[in-house]
Amino acid sequence: MEIFRLALRNLSRQKKRTFLLGGAIAFGLMIVTLINGFAGAFLTNISENFANLAAGHIFAQGVEKSASGREYELIRDDSLLLAAAKEAGIPAKYVTKVSSFDGNLVFAGHTARLTIDGVDFATETFLPERLVFKEGGLAGMKDRQGIIISDPIAKRLDVRPGDRLLVQLKTYSGQNNVGEFAVAGITPDPGIFGSMAGYANKAYVNELLNIGSGEYQTLGFYLPSLDGMDGYGDAFYKAVKARAAVFDRDAAKKETNPIRAFMNQGKNETWAGVKYRVYTLNDLLAQVKQIAEVLKTSSLVILLVLFGIIMVGITNTFRIIMYERIREIGTMRSIGMQRAEVRNLFLSEAMILALGGALAGLAVAGAVMAGLSMVNFGLSSPLFIILKNGHMTFRLDALTTAFDVLVVAALTLVSAMLPARKAARLDPAVALRTVK
Amino acid sequence: MVIVELRDVRKVYPLGKVEVEAVKGVSFCIEKGDFISIAGPSGSGKTTILNMIGCVDRPTAGLVRIGDRQTKDLGDKELTTLRHETLGFIFQSFNLIPVLSVFENIEFPLLLGKQRMHAKEKKEWIDYLVEEVGLSDWRRHKPTELSGGQRQRVAIARALAGKPAIVLADEPTANLDSGTGEQILELMKKINREMQTTFIFSTHDAKIVELADHVIRLRDGLVIENLRNGADASGLCAEGGTRAAASAAGA
Ligand SMILES: Nc1ncnc2c1ncn2[C@@H]1O[C@H](COP(=O)(O)OP(=O)(O)O)[C@@H](O)[C@H]1O
Ligand SMILES: [Mg+2]
Repeated sequence: MEIFRLALRNLSRQKKRTFLLGGAIAFGLMIVTLINGFAGAFLTNISENFANLAAGHIFAQGVEKSASGREYELIRDDSLLLAAAKEAGIPAKYVTKVSSFDGNLVFAGHTARLTIDGVDFATETFLPERLVFKEGGLAGMKDRQGIIISDPIAKRLDVRPGDRLLVQLKTYSGQNNVGEFAVAGITPDPGIFGSMAGYANKAYVNELLNIGSGEYQTLGFYLPSLDGMDGYGDAFYKAVKARAAVFDRDAAKKETNPIRAFMNQGKNETWAGVKYRVYTLNDLLAQVKQIAEVLKTSSLVILLVLFGIIMVGITNTFRIIMYERIREIGTMRSIGMQRAEVRNLFLSEAMILALGGALAGLAVAGAVMAGLSMVNFGLSSPLFIILKNGHMTFRLDALTTAFDVLVVAALTLVSAMLPARKAARLDPAVALRTVK
Repeated sequence: MVIVELRDVRKVYPLGKVEVEAVKGVSFCIEKGDFISIAGPSGSGKTTILNMIGCVDRPTAGLVRIGDRQTKDLGDKELTTLRHETLGFIFQSFNLIPVLSVFENIEFPLLLGKQRMHAKEKKEWIDYLVEEVGLSDWRRHKPTELSGGQRQRVAIARALAGKPAIVLADEPTANLDSGTGEQILELMKKINREMQTTFIFSTHDAKIVELADHVIRLRDGLVIENLRNGADASGLCAEGGTRAAASAAGA
């Protein structure tokens, strides 16, 4: 305890130097904490935003195969799937039934390709509740041929609400088809993922796809939260498997790109009737998850690299400190200070520096995160997918943070160890006669 | 009773390719409670000898005995403990710890190693020492706020904190003006009488040598005079040596 007090006093000798060293440690930990905080929220935000775009967390598709080997995505009768969902106990907040196609929009010589989802605006609340308009609005969807597109697409086609445009597509069975849409509303740029989607009335989309009015392609369950998605997904898969033919989820999981392997599973098979494909948002986002993991791993690498540099500074500074205080060390040794106590004095100084710096680093990181969270990037920010309602969010894992602080403390101690041992091993007689 | 014995002590310093023989075979003994001066011109070997008595340095050859302990047999840890428990140090340039106050500097040796005193007892003892060296009004001040004489008073009190049997002072007055130097020596002498602490101080100043009971005069690493109360003191060793040998044989 006394050594600790002396260490504290010693650090206050050269305040500027102490602040520089502590500041370097703080800076290192701050950067890493920011990355970790960002990575922690990154996946959650992407998942939540993606769930909104994809209108669900757990999905099922029906797939049929024709004699000629074509695959059709079509759910003709969803009673089986809904019964399975009930058995799995999925606490769906919304159930979405989506028909969609990839179509070519044409207007006055301009074309744009995008995915058009069919939505039943009369009964489905999920999408209408979430749509924000830059121009036009939901009113235009009363027109059977109404369409909602995003700003970049509207710009590309040079259209305004009220304009009528042509669409080229393939029916569910692969025939070429042509239709006509009337622009009802234009949404702000929703970023890299959203710009590809447009929304139209399901009845008209079904007509263009040449499928029945009660039929659709993807059934989605929107959960109240991201928790439990995997569990409900598994239960739903089992329940569907008990009732009908399904694509093997587990086999696909062994592939390097599981979701692609899963989506392509039917390529080399033939079957009669419907075969169901059950997947979750987590399956779709497996690669995004990997990005988050990479971010977290790289934060540790960055911590180590930054500290590699900082450690050199710490070692050099402690070496200088040792030479500055060489006579003092000789004096203390004469008076009866043991080698270990001299070493501990230096290590205590390093420890205080490390913990003080770490605390400051965490505090600054907290302040920066709070500051960044307050900035509203707007819903139309191209970063939309990683934001939460237009705001950056951060989530720190207590364990990771504690581990980083521990790493910082350990590395600081290691850096100070060599000079500390050198100081402890000084011959007192030599130290005493040294004139600086 | 002999408290320090040096027998045929030599010290050779390597200096580049040559060797400097700083102490060339020195023997003398010191009686407990005496006020001893190691006198001699600069370079005669005073510091080297005090360092060996102080157990901060080892002789190249010969024996140094402190109390009943032969220092030759001791490792660094034991030597440090011996310094802590038996010896006090006063330095030419004071060597106070700059970040500690007067009180804390004096207290410092008591915070090392095993704690023997209770907090209250310790405080009373330090207060007594502060008073004894006349710094009652300065206890909270840092060394940089003190004059040279005051700093050396702090150093004296610090040397006494652990109630050592022997206090070593290497040219304690060399950085002080002659008036202040005399006062410092008077203070050391007073404490020597009051507490029965053995003081060994080195000096090249003929004037302050006069205060000593026992004067060991050096030149070129050799003892040229060894007088205790005006009489030859080489006999001390025979007496002390036999006693030490007898006790060693008895044990
Ligand atoms: N570390 C050392 N290396 C080489 N020579 C030394 C060293 N210390 C002292 N000496 C030499 O030893 C002799 C005695 O030195 P010292 O004990 O310091 O004398 P004093 O204290 O009486 O001035 C001197 O000649 C000095 O130059
Ligand atoms: Mg000297």
